[in-house]
Amino acid sequence: MPSAESSFSAQKFAGYGVAAVAAVLVLYPVFFLLQAALDVGDPQVRPPTAYGLDNFSGIFQYPQILLNTLTVSVAATVMSLVFGFVMAWILTRTNVPGRHLFEQLMAVPYYLTPLLGALAWSLLGSPESGFINQVWRALGGNDHLIDINTAYGIAWVMALFEGSVAFVMIAAVMKSMDPALEEASQIMGAGRLRTMLRITLPLVVPGVLGAAIFVFAEMLGSFAAALVLGTPSRYYVITTAIYQLVQQYPPKIQIAAAMGASLFAVMFFMLFLYRRIVMAGSYVTITGKAFRPRVADIGPLRYLLLGVCLLYLFAAVGLPLITLLYASLQKIAVAFPAADNWTLENFRIAVTMNAVRSALGNSLLLGFATATIGVVLMGLLAWLIYRSRLPGSGLIEYVVMFPQAVPRLVFAFGLMWAWVVFPIPIYGTLSLLLIAYLTVFLPLGVRTIAGVMLQIDKSLEECAQMCGASWAFRVRTVTIPLLVPGLVAAWLLLFIASIRELGASILLMGPHSKVITPSIVESWFGTSSELTAALALIQTLVVAIAMIVLVTITRRVGAHPVE
Amino acid sequence: MADSKKSIVTRRMLLKAGAAVPLLGMAAPAVLAQAPLKSPTKILDFMTNADVAKAEQEGQLVFYCHENEPGTAGIMEGFRKDFPKINTSYVRAQTGALYNKIVSERSAGRFDVDVIQLSDLAPAVDFQKKGGYEQYLSPETGAYKADHLSSPAGSFFWTGVDPAGIAYNSTKVSAADAPKTWQDILNPRWKGSISCKISASGLQFVQWYTLRKLYGADFWKEFAKQNPHAFDSRVQLFDRLAKGDDLITAIGEYPAYILFKDKGAKVEFVAPADGLPATPLIVGAVSKAPHPEAAKLFVDWAMSKRGQAWYQTNPNLYYGSVRTDAPPMPTGVRLGDLKLLYPADWDDYAANRDVFAKEWNGMIGL
Amino acid sequence: MPPSPAPGSQVSPTPHIEVNGLELYYGSVPAVRGVSFNVLPGEQLTLLGPSGCGKTTTLRAIAGLEQPTAGEIRIDGVTVYSSQRGISIRAEKRGLSMVFQSYAIWPHMTVFENVAYGLRVRRKVAAEIAERVDRALEMVQMRNFASRRAAQLSGGQQQRVALARAFVFSPSVLLFDEPLSNLDAKLRADMRIELRELQHRLGITSVYVTHDLEEALAMSDRIVVMRDGLIEQTGTPDEIYRLPNSAFVADFVGSANLIRGRHRVDLDTDGLTALETSAGHIVYGMAYERAVGAELVVSVRTVHLRISTEPPAAMQNVWRVPVRQTVFQGDFTQVHLGWGEQHLIARCAAMEPLAAGQQVYIAVEPRHVVVLAG
Repeated sequence: MPSAESSFSAQKFAGYGVAAVAAVLVLYPVFFLLQAALDVGDPQVRPPTAYGLDNFSGIFQYPQILLNTLTVSVAATVMSLVFGFVMAWILTRTNVPGRHLFEQLMAVPYYLTPLLGALAWSLLGSPESGFINQVWRALGGNDHLIDINTAYGIAWVMALFEGSVAFVMIAAVMKSMDPALEEASQIMGAGRLRTMLRITLPLVVPGVLGAAIFVFAEMLGSFAAALVLGTPSRYYVITTAIYQLVQQYPPKIQIAAAMGASLFAVMFFMLFLYRRIVMAGSYVTITGKAFRPRVADIGPLRYLLLGVCLLYLFAAVGLPLITLLYASLQKIAVAFPAADNWTLENFRIAVTMNAVRSALGNSLLLGFATATIGVVLMGLLAWLIYRSRLPGSGLIEYVVMFPQAVPRLVFAFGLMWAWVVFPIPIYGTLSLLLIAYLTVFLPLGVRTIAGVMLQIDKSLEECAQMCGASWAFRVRTVTIPLLVPGLVAAWLLLFIASIRELGASILLMGPHSKVITPSIVESWFGTSSELTAALALIQTLVVAIAMIVLVTITRRVGAHPVE
Repeated sequence: MADSKKSIVTRRMLLKAGAAVPLLGMAAPAVLAQAPLKSPTKILDFMTNADVAKAEQEGQLVFYCHENEPGTAGIMEGFRKDFPKINTSYVRAQTGALYNKIVSERSAGRFDVDVIQLSDLAPAVDFQKKGGYEQYLSPETGAYKADHLSSPAGSFFWTGVDPAGIAYNSTKVSAADAPKTWQDILNPRWKGSISCKISASGLQFVQWYTLRKLYGADFWKEFAKQNPHAFDSRVQLFDRLAKGDDLITAIGEYPAYILFKDKGAKVEFVAPADGLPATPLIVGAVSKAPHPEAAKLFVDWAMSKRGQAWYQTNPNLYYGSVRTDAPPMPTGVRLGDLKLLYPADWDDYAANRDVFAKEWNGMIGL
Repeated sequence: MPPSPAPGSQVSPTPHIEVNGLELYYGSVPAVRGVSFNVLPGEQLTLLGPSGCGKTTTLRAIAGLEQPTAGEIRIDGVTVYSSQRGISIRAEKRGLSMVFQSYAIWPHMTVFENVAYGLRVRRKVAAEIAERVDRALEMVQMRNFASRRAAQLSGGQQQRVALARAFVFSPSVLLFDEPLSNLDAKLRADMRIELRELQHRLGITSVYVTHDLEEALAMSDRIVVMRDGLIEQTGTPDEIYRLPNSAFVADFVGSANLIRGRHRVDLDTDGLTALETSAGHIVYGMAYERAVGAELVVSVRTVHLRISTEPPAAMQNVWRVPVRQTVFQGDFTQVHLGWGEQHLIARCAAMEPLAAGQQVYIAVEPRHVVVLAG
C-alpha cells in the first residue's frame, strides 16, 4: 500500500552533511591563502592590518622563476607525453609479450614517489659525484656526461615519475577507440602507416590534448624533483620558490602567498580548460566501453618494443632502486668503492634513529586513519555527486575537485594559517596532517570510488528500491557490498598516497607529528646522502608491501584500480 | 632596551678592567621579579633548581633546535639517557627559520616549546627582549664567564661554540693550490665549486659580519661572483666536499671536519691566520613552557659538566665548550688555542641582521 | 487519443492504475508529452512502440524511478504522484514490483537471497521466507538453483530468478521493462507463454513495456501504442490489429499496405466505402464507424492480399498485376507487386514459385480494407 511521504530523510541528512564537511575542508584554507596573499601590512601581525595587491606585483621581481617554471613544466610535459604515447601505443595496440603486466607496472613509478626518483637521479647525475659521470670519466670521457641539476634534468625526473598520468590517460583514449574505424580505412586499401596518420592520430589527438593540459597543470605544481635537484644550484621554480621564501630568514610570507595564489589561478584555469575540451562535465574517466582495441601483430619487432618497455621501467624503477641501495651500503658513496667503503651502518642508524621510527610510525598511523576515514567520506561524496539527485550536487563536484588545482604546498600554506588560529589545538599535531591529507586527496578518492560506482548498473539499486528497500537498507545490502572491491582499491590508494605525501606535510609537521617523506627530504638537506638513501629505501619497502597487497586483493576480487 | 645596552657596556668595561662583579647584584631588577629561589638539589652529578620529581611527572620535553637532524637527536639522546622518564620531542630548523617559527606561534597564542637552542646571538637577545625566555638562574651558572651568559643572566647561556675555517677536498685540490687565507676564497678558480651556508644560519651571519669588519664590504661582493652553493647544514657541505661536488667550502665548521675525517673522507681544514669566525650556540628555557620543570632541568643538565661533555664528545655535535672547567675537544684542541673571531659589538651586529639577510639572500636565495 | 472502450463492455470496473496527463521533460527535451490511460485490476496492459516513444519513461514514472513534470498517477485509488497537489511518493513506498531489462540480479548474493530480498525488507520471519521463496522458485522452475551464486547463471536463468523475486512478496502490481529483449528468439518465444500463464495464475495487474509486436499481441489484455511521447491508439490486441486507426499503427502492428484515394460517394454501396486511387483503381473498404473525409487512407494487411494465377471468384477489389519481386522468408514468402504507380506487398504462405514479371491476380475482401481515422 503506498504510504505518505515524509520530508526528512536519512538520504538528505547524509548528503548535505558530507557536502558541508567537504566545503569546510576545501574552502576554509583557500580563504586564508588569499588573505595572506592580500596582506600588505606587517607580516608579523595577525590578522592582517592592510590589504592590497602589492604582493602580486612583487612576484614580477622574480621573472627568472616564472621562466624556469615554464621551461621545466613544458619540457616535462612534452617528455611525459612522448613516454606516455609511446608506451600506450606499445601496450594497447601491439602484441608485445606481457603487455598486461606492463600496464600494471606503469603505475609503479608513481607509487615510488618522485622524491625517490630525484634522490636516485641526483646520485646518478650530479656533474661531479654522479655515478654515471664517474663511470664516464673512468671510460675516458671529459668532465661530465649528464648534469641532472639543470632544467632538463629536473624535467626528466618529473616526466619519469609524475608522467605516468599521461600514460593512463592516453591509454584510456586508445582503448576506447572503435577499431572498426581503422579497419574501414584498411579495407579501403590504406596501408598501416597511412591509417595511423589519417585515421588513428586525428582520433587520438583530442584525448592527447586533454592529457597534455592535465599533465601540464600537474607539472606546474610539482615540487619534489625541483626541490632536490634545483635548490642547490639556486634553480627555483614557483613551488620551490614558495618553499624557499617561507623557510628562509627573514621569510617573505606574503609574496609566497601571492605566488601560491597565482599558481592556483593558473592551474585552475588549465583544469577548467581540460574539462571543457575533454570531459564535458565529469572527472571520471569513462572505462568499460565495449570495444576491444585492435592489436597489431608486429612480428619480431615485438622483442625490440619489449626492450623499450623494459628500458623505460629500468630507468624509472630499476635503476633508481639499485642506485639507492648501492649508495646506502657505502660510507661515502662513489661509483667504484674501495673494499673498506662498504658498511651497514647507514641502515643501522636509519632503523634505530628514534626520529625515523616515530616518523614511520606516524606515517603508518596516519595512512590508516586517512584511508579509513577517507573511504567513508569520499564514498559518501561520490554517491552524493554522481548518484543522488539532491539539488546542488553539481556544485559540490566543483568544490571537491578544487584541490586538484592547488599544488599541495600552496594548500598547506593556507592550512597552516587556517588552523593555527583555530581554537581547538590541532596545530602541529597529527590531526592537522590528517585534515590536510583528507582535503588534498579528495579528488583522488572521489574519482576512484566514483569510477567504480558508475560501473555498477543503476538498475541493481533501483531493483532494491522496487522491492521496497529504504535508502539506508539498500545502501547497506546492495550498494556497499558491490562497491567493496572498489572501496578496497581506494583504501589502498589513499594509504599509499598519504605515506608518500610531501608537499603538504613538509610545511605542517610539528614536533609530535613527523612523517616519513618530509623526513627523508630533511635528511637529504641535513645529513649524508648515504643515510638518506637508506631511509628512502625503508620508506619504499613499506610502500611496496602496500602495493603488493593492493594488486593481490584487487586481482582476486576482479576490480581494477583506477588512478 | 637602553638598560641592557648600558649594562653590557658597563660589565664589559668592568671585565676589561679586570673587576669581577657579583652576578646577582647586577641582575637585581629581573631577579627580584622571579619566584623566591629554592636551594638547589643535586641530581646525578650536577646541581639543579628544578623540581626533578615534578619534571619526571611532566614526562615530556619539547626542544626547538637549529642543529641538523642527527645533531638535535643526539642532544636529546644525551638528556634522555640521564633522565629516561622524560620523553623528548624536537623540531629542528636553521636558526632564522626556527626563530621565526617560534615567534609566529607565540603571536598566535601557541606556547608549545620548552627549550630553544639557537646558533645566533642576535635572535636570542631579541627573544629575551620579548620576554620569550624564562628567567631561570641555574646553580651551574657560576661555571661560566659573564660574557657567555645572557645579560642579565638567567635567560640563556652559551652551550658551545662553533668555529669555522676553510675546508677543501684533498684529492682534487693539491696542498699547494689550497686556500690559506680568507682572501683565497675569492680566487676565481673556485667559481661554481665553492659552498657556504644559507642566510638563516647564525654562523654564516657571524662570518659575514666579522670578515666584513676585517676586509671591508667589498669582500662579500666579490664572493658573490663565485656563485657559491648554499646549504642548511654543515654535514651537507662536507658531504659534497667529500664527494667532490664542491672543491672548497668557505665555511668549514671544525666539528664537521672532525666528523668527516673520522669517516675517512679526504678533506682538509685550514685555519686562516686572521682568525676563525665563531658563533655561540645559545640554550635557554622558554617562558610559558608546557613543561617548565623539565625545561629547567634541561638547562641545568646542559650547563653541567656532564651535559657539556656530551655536547663535546657526541660526533654529531663536537662543540667547543666555554665552561671554565671544560676539558679540551676530542682532537686535543682547546677553544682558547684557536683565534676566534666574534663580533666586537653585539648590538651593532644585531642591527645589521637585515642588511646581511638582504645581501646574502640576494646572492644565494630569493 | 482517449482510450476506446472495449467493445461489448458495460460499466468498467474501478481501475487499479490511473495515469492522467502525464508529462515528462528532460530539461527542454520531451520524453512523454501528455499520456493518459487506465489499467484494470488483473489485466496486463502493454505499452508498445518504437524506441524513443516514451514507453519506458512512462513505466518508470509509474514505478517512481523517474520524476514527471506534470500529471497525476493513482494506484488503487491513492495518489502517488500529483504535480498539482505537489505529491510524489518514493518508489520504495509505492508497493509495486518490477522486472528489469537487465534482470538486475545481485551478483554478490545467492539465488535464494536474491528472491528473498523483498521479504526481508518486509521483515518476514525466516520460516515464512523460506517457504515463500521455495514456492516462487518452484513456479519458475529454478528450485534446484536456490543456493547457486547468482553471478553464475545464464541469461534465461537470471530472467526467471528476477521474475520470482518480483512476485514473491505478492505485490498487487508488476511492472515489466522489456524483460525478454536480451534473450534469443527461441527462448523469448517460450518465456512469453510462461510469463502469460504466470500472470494469469497469480492474477496480478501488470504493465508491460516492449517494442516487440509479437510479444505485445501474444501477452496483452490491452495494448497502448505510443509514438513520440503520445498515445496513438489503445485497445485489445485484436482491435489494434484489425482496426488500426492511423497509418502509423497500421504499419507498426503487422505489416500493411497504405492506399490513398478520393472518396467516391457515388460508388458507396452496402455499407462499403469506395475510394479511387490516383491510378484510377476503385477500392472497396469498410469505415467501421469512422468519419470519412473527401480524401482518405485505407490499410490492407499484407496477409490479406490473396494472390492467384487464375481469376478469383470475387467481384470487388480484384486486379491483375505484375510480380516485381519475391522474397523467400521461410514460413511465408513476401511478394512485391506493381499496382498502378504503387507498390503492393503480399504475404503468402507456401505457394508455387512466381517469376518476376509474371502476371497474377490479387484480391482482398472489403472487410479487410480498413479506413483509417483522421
